[in-house]
Amino acid sequence: MQKILTKKSFPKWVANLATYQIYAPVEKDDLWSYEIVTADEITTDYPNTVLSPKKITFPQREFFLEFSQNDDGIPGVTELLPEEKESVIFGVRPCDAKGVSHMDKVFGGDFEDAYYWKRRNQVTLVGLSCNTPPSPNCFCTSVDGSPHSTDGLDVLLTDIGDRFFVQTFTKKGDRIINASKGLFTAPKPKDKTDVEKVHKDAVKAMPRSLKDTKKIPPKLKDLFEANLWDEEAMSCIQCGICTYLCPTCHCFDINDEITSHSPLEGKRVRTWDNCQFPDFTMHSSGHNPRPDKASRLRQRIMHKFQYFVEKYKNFQCIGCGRCISKCPVGIDIIQVLEKVRDHV
Amino acid sequence: MVNLDDIKKEAHRILKEKKVKYIIGYTQGANGFPAVPVFIKNPEDADNLVWNPACIHNLTRFLRDEKKRRAREKHPDNRPVGIIVKGCDSRAINVLLQEKYIAREDVFVLGVSCEDTGVVDEKKLAKKLKGKKALCFDWDENRNLVVTTEDGKSTINADEVLAERCLECPAQSPVVYDILFGDKVKLSPEDRFKSVEKIENLSQKERWAFWKEQFDKCIRCYACRSVCPMCYCDECVVDTISFAVTADTTAEEKAQKIKWIDKSPVTSETYIYHMIRAIHLAGRCIDCGECERVCPLDIPIRFLNKKLEKEAKKLFDYEVGFDPDQLSLVSSFRDEDPEDFIR
Repeated sequence: MQKILTKKSFPKWVANLATYQIYAPVEKDDLWSYEIVTADEITTDYPNTVLSPKKITFPQREFFLEFSQNDDGIPGVTELLPEEKESVIFGVRPCDAKGVSHMDKVFGGDFEDAYYWKRRNQVTLVGLSCNTPPSPNCFCTSVDGSPHSTDGLDVLLTDIGDRFFVQTFTKKGDRIINASKGLFTAPKPKDKTDVEKVHKDAVKAMPRSLKDTKKIPPKLKDLFEANLWDEEAMSCIQCGICTYLCPTCHCFDINDEITSHSPLEGKRVRTWDNCQFPDFTMHSSGHNPRPDKASRLRQRIMHKFQYFVEKYKNFQCIGCGRCISKCPVGIDIIQVLEKVRDHV
Repeated sequence: MVNLDDIKKEAHRILKEKKVKYIIGYTQGANGFPAVPVFIKNPEDADNLVWNPACIHNLTRFLRDEKKRRAREKHPDNRPVGIIVKGCDSRAINVLLQEKYIAREDVFVLGVSCEDTGVVDEKKLAKKLKGKKALCFDWDENRNLVVTTEDGKSTINADEVLAERCLECPAQSPVVYDILFGDKVKLSPEDRFKSVEKIENLSQKERWAFWKEQFDKCIRCYACRSVCPMCYCDECVVDTISFAVTADTTAEEKAQKIKWIDKSPVTSETYIYHMIRAIHLAGRCIDCGECERVCPLDIPIRFLNKKLEKEAKKLFDYEVGFDPDQLSLVSSFRDEDPEDFIR
C-alpha cells in the first residue's frame, strides 16, 4: 500500500496507536537511543542510535525459566516466556531493519527460538528512509542495502518536505495505517516523482563505499591462515564494542542466577555474549580454540562475510558503520575488507 | 616545538640499527581519521608516523599484548619495543615499572612533550565543528587549535577543546624517556581536581541517583578495562571462567571457581564491576582518561578514578607514576599517615 501522510497529521496517527507501546530514537546528553516515547517526542532528524532496535527484539538480558527446590528437595521449574506489550518502533533506519530481518533468519529456520519470537511478533517496525546519511561511516549500498531498503520493515516513511510518503509491506503495517484511515491520502504523481528523487539523491550521498564486495566471501575461504589477521588485530584491544553495537551480532550466553541458596531459588538467564572476549570459546579443559585476538577478529569478519553468506545468501553486515565509528583504536571494517579483497 | 621529522628520523634509526623489535606509534587512520595506533617494523615505514592533537590513545596499553606474546613464543625476540608516549602515558610506564610488570630494558621510550597544550577531546571538537569533518588540525603558538574543514580554516582556543584530563595534567612532558621530543614544560594547573567537585558537591542521595543512571547505561563491553594499561590481570573478577586453567587443573578446582559477578547488565552487578575496577586503580591510575573516552555510552568513569587520585594525594601525599622506585600506595605505610578513619 502507498499513502501520503502530512507531517501535521503525524502526531494524530501516533496518538491513534494508543494500544501500542511506542518506541523512537530520543536524545539525552548527546546520546541517541530507542526509548518509549509520546507522539511529540518523535523526530525525523537524528543520527544513528548507539544501540540498534536489536535491544528491543533481542534484549541484552532475558529470562528462560525460574527454578526452585522446596524443603523436601522437590525441584520446581517454571518457564518464563516474555510477555511484551504490542509495540511500534518508529524511526527505524533501513539498515537496522535489515539487521532485524537477519536476526529473524538466525532465530527462525530449522529451530524457532520461542523467546525471540514471542517478542519479535509483538513488534511493528516503521522505518524512516535516510535522506541524509545518519553516520559518517554509512556504507549500506556496498552490502546490498540502500537508504530506503524495505527488508525487515512493516512500513517505510520517506520525508518529502511537508509530508511523508508511506509504504506498507506487511499485514502488521497495513493494520496500523488502517487504524487511522482518514489521515492518509492516496499519493499523487508528484509525490511519486518526489520520493523517487529523494531516494536517488540519498544513494548518491552515501559517505563510504566498499567496491567489489562480491569478491570477498570466496576470498575469505582461502585466508583462514593468512598473516593479515595478525596485522589487522595488532591494535585491537579486545573490548566488546563492535559486536554489542552491531545490529546483527546475536551470540548469547546462558547462566543460572541464584537469588537464594536456601531454599534454592533462581533464574536461568540469557545475556548477550561476545566473540571478541577470550572466554567466549574457552573450553573447560583450558584449551581455547581461538587463543588470540587475531583469531577472534578473523571470526567476526568471517561470520559477517563468509559463514553467514554461505548459509543465508546474504552479507550479515548491514553497513550501519557503528563498529567503525565507535572502535576505540580506529579499526575500520571497510579497510580490513579491502585488504581481504585485494589480498594476493 | 615538536618536530615530527625528528620523531620519524629517530624511529627510522632505531629500527634500522635493530635496537627495537618494533615501534608503537600513531599514524593517519582510514577515512581521514587523524590518528590511530600503529605498529611499525620496517625502517622505511617510520615515515607513516604522525604527531597531532588527535594522538589521544595511551599506547602503553599495548605493552600488555607484547608481554603475553613473549610468554607464548618459544624463542621470543627480547629486544625492547619502541613506544611513543606523552606525559601522562609516560607515568603509566613508571607504574608498570614500579609493579615490575615490565622491566626498563623492555621498552625504548620515545617521549613527546605536549608542551602547553595536550590532546583534543573528539566529542568537544565535534560539537564545535557542528557536524563538519576536520580535514586537518594542529596547535598554533598561541594555544589555539587551527582546524581546516571543507569551509576553510578556523581557530578554537585550546581550553575549549582539550581533553578534560589535559586541563588538569600535572606532567605535560614525559617523566621517563630514552629520547625526548619537544620542550620540557611543567605547568601547574590551578586545581588538578577541579572536575571532581561537580560530583563531590552532590548529596549522597543525588550521587546515588547520578551513578545509578550512568551505570544503568553500561552494556558491559568492558572497553574501559580493555583500554586500560593497568587492567592487566590474567584473571578479572567479571570473567565467567578462570583463565588460569591449565592441563593440570583438576575438575574440583574448576567446579569451585566462584562466580563473583553475574553477566547480566543490572544495577547491582554493573555497579560492583565499576566499583571494583575503581578501587583496583587507586594509586595506579595516571588519569589518561582512556576508559572514559572509549565508553560507547559516555559513562563518566574518569570521575571515580580522579576522586581516588585526589584521596591518595590528600591523605597520603601519594603521587602516581613519577617515581618507579616508590612503594605502592596500598602496600606502604608512613608514620604520618592519617588513621582517624580507623575506629
